[in-house]
Amino acid sequence: MSYIEVEKLNKSFTVRKKREKGRLFREKEIVEALKDVSFSVERGELVGYIGPNGAGKSTTVKILSGILTPESGSALVGGSVPWTDRREYVRHIGVVFGQRSQLWWDVPIQDSYSLLKDIYRIPLPDYESRLRELSEALQLEELMRTPLRLLSLGQRMRAELCGSLLHRPELLFLDEPTIGLDAVSKLALRDFLRSENKEYGTTIMLTTHDMEDIAALCPRVMVLGHGRKLYDGGLTELLERFDKNRTVSVRYDTEEPQLELPDSVQTVVRNGSDVRLTYSPADIPTAELLTLLQRAGRIQEMTLGSENIDHLIAAMYREMDL
Amino acid sequence: MRAYLSVFGMRNRMELQYRGAMLGGILCQMFFGIVLVALYRALYASRPQPVPIEHIATYVWLQQAFFRMIVASDPDLLDKIRNGNISYDLCRPLDMYWFYYARIAAQKLTGSLMRGIPMMIFAAILPRGWGLAPPDSLQGLIFGIFGLLFGLLCVCALENITMAFTMRTLDPRGIQALLNLLMVTLSGNILPLTLFPDSWQKVITALPYAQLLDGPIRLYTGDHAVSDAPRIILVQASWTVVLIFAGYNLWRADQKRMIVQGG
Repeated sequence: MSYIEVEKLNKSFTVRKKREKGRLFREKEIVEALKDVSFSVERGELVGYIGPNGAGKSTTVKILSGILTPESGSALVGGSVPWTDRREYVRHIGVVFGQRSQLWWDVPIQDSYSLLKDIYRIPLPDYESRLRELSEALQLEELMRTPLRLLSLGQRMRAELCGSLLHRPELLFLDEPTIGLDAVSKLALRDFLRSENKEYGTTIMLTTHDMEDIAALCPRVMVLGHGRKLYDGGLTELLERFDKNRTVSVRYDTEEPQLELPDSVQTVVRNGSDVRLTYSPADIPTAELLTLLQRAGRIQEMTLGSENIDHLIAAMYREMDL
Repeated sequence: MRAYLSVFGMRNRMELQYRGAMLGGILCQMFFGIVLVALYRALYASRPQPVPIEHIATYVWLQQAFFRMIVASDPDLLDKIRNGNISYDLCRPLDMYWFYYARIAAQKLTGSLMRGIPMMIFAAILPRGWGLAPPDSLQGLIFGIFGLLFGLLCVCALENITMAFTMRTLDPRGIQALLNLLMVTLSGNILPLTLFPDSWQKVITALPYAQLLDGPIRLYTGDHAVSDAPRIILVQASWTVVLIFAGYNLWRADQKRMIVQGG
């Protein structure tokens, strides 16, 4: 049996809408946040969980962390049901909600950690070595005595992550952990997660809108839309399906080159001697396009590339009608 | 247990951060104390009451000193419920009721001691009939402190019921306004319960609110004889048990139907 087994999970919320004019009662609408979602995850896997806003990603995370009770369906994580065995179960998991805070606002983060030590009953030597390891990896040494309210968003995120990992959870849920991080912190965070996964075999489920995070970390992705699971498999396979367009950027020697291109080629940028185009190799073979480009003038510089990953995801969401 | 004690300690440390608020609170309560005592002195000047004015002044000052224990909610806890940061607390291997009970107890105890001790010193140096009189007897003092501790346990249970309601309504203001009104009237904060008609007192003193401060203060002033102490503490303890039981079950029901909104 897999580590996480989710079977036909359903959850709906009742939303009361503002009363319309001329009606006596408010209208109720039932929003189905999850519809028959099933999946399984092996121990030590790194899984990306993506989907447009309101797809049900956070709902799944909340159910799997024992906060929400689903209407129907079953979920077993390491042999326990998250929402019925909550107190015992949460001892083994770690959660980072990117939008929320678990550390105490007015006190140094060190004190928040020592409270977590008592809550999770971590033995002191173990706690000290773990804290040293985490603060080194997340560059928190100098911030330990600083109250949380004085930290920047990125520093806070790193501090939150440290708090969620102190008790060495075997399963880690990350709900948009890279919100507000600068490039350096983002890369450091990814390295850190990768090494946690490798060294301790931590199973990680990552929810994010940053496709670079997914590309860098998760060999497997699940796509959720309107509460249904739409895709489950490798990221490369997923992208190949939608990765049809190529871009080409050209810089000419001459100003204002005379370009004559077929309709299937789209001009994205045209600025003096710089031109950027997107085209689909299915419509016009690359060799043919290159001939056309060369005819327009002497090429000084040229790069060929695939489309931006965010565009791909947007195209995918469009196609899946999300 | 250690975890709950640790939460208690943490909330204490946080309370100690707000020294400015403490000073403001003390000044405000001193002002109210003096105005109220002056008012009762005026009342007594025109028509003396059966309870001596020294007792009333002492009563007023002790009520003011422990005002924070009676009406003050933990704003962070309420915010957590409103903005959903409670999610993290729900991911802890702890019992939610006692987790929050420990927090509330720390806030109420430290908050009121920080304000109460300086105020009692201030009130003790005021002239007799204006300020805090010494306790009627040593036993009265000891039983009073003992009763105060039970009052604390009781008021925390009440507060945790407010929290449990906030879990449903998401906004504490309605229930707080209602409960605070009951609290300040029935605990003797607005008008000392000793001045209520005897027939009213029979009902009011049986309610949980009277157990918080009124009972302990009257043991201190000697309005309640020392021999009454076991009975008073028994009533306090029973209310504490009842309120904890009710709050605990409310929280359990909340956790079953709870929804943390938003991403």
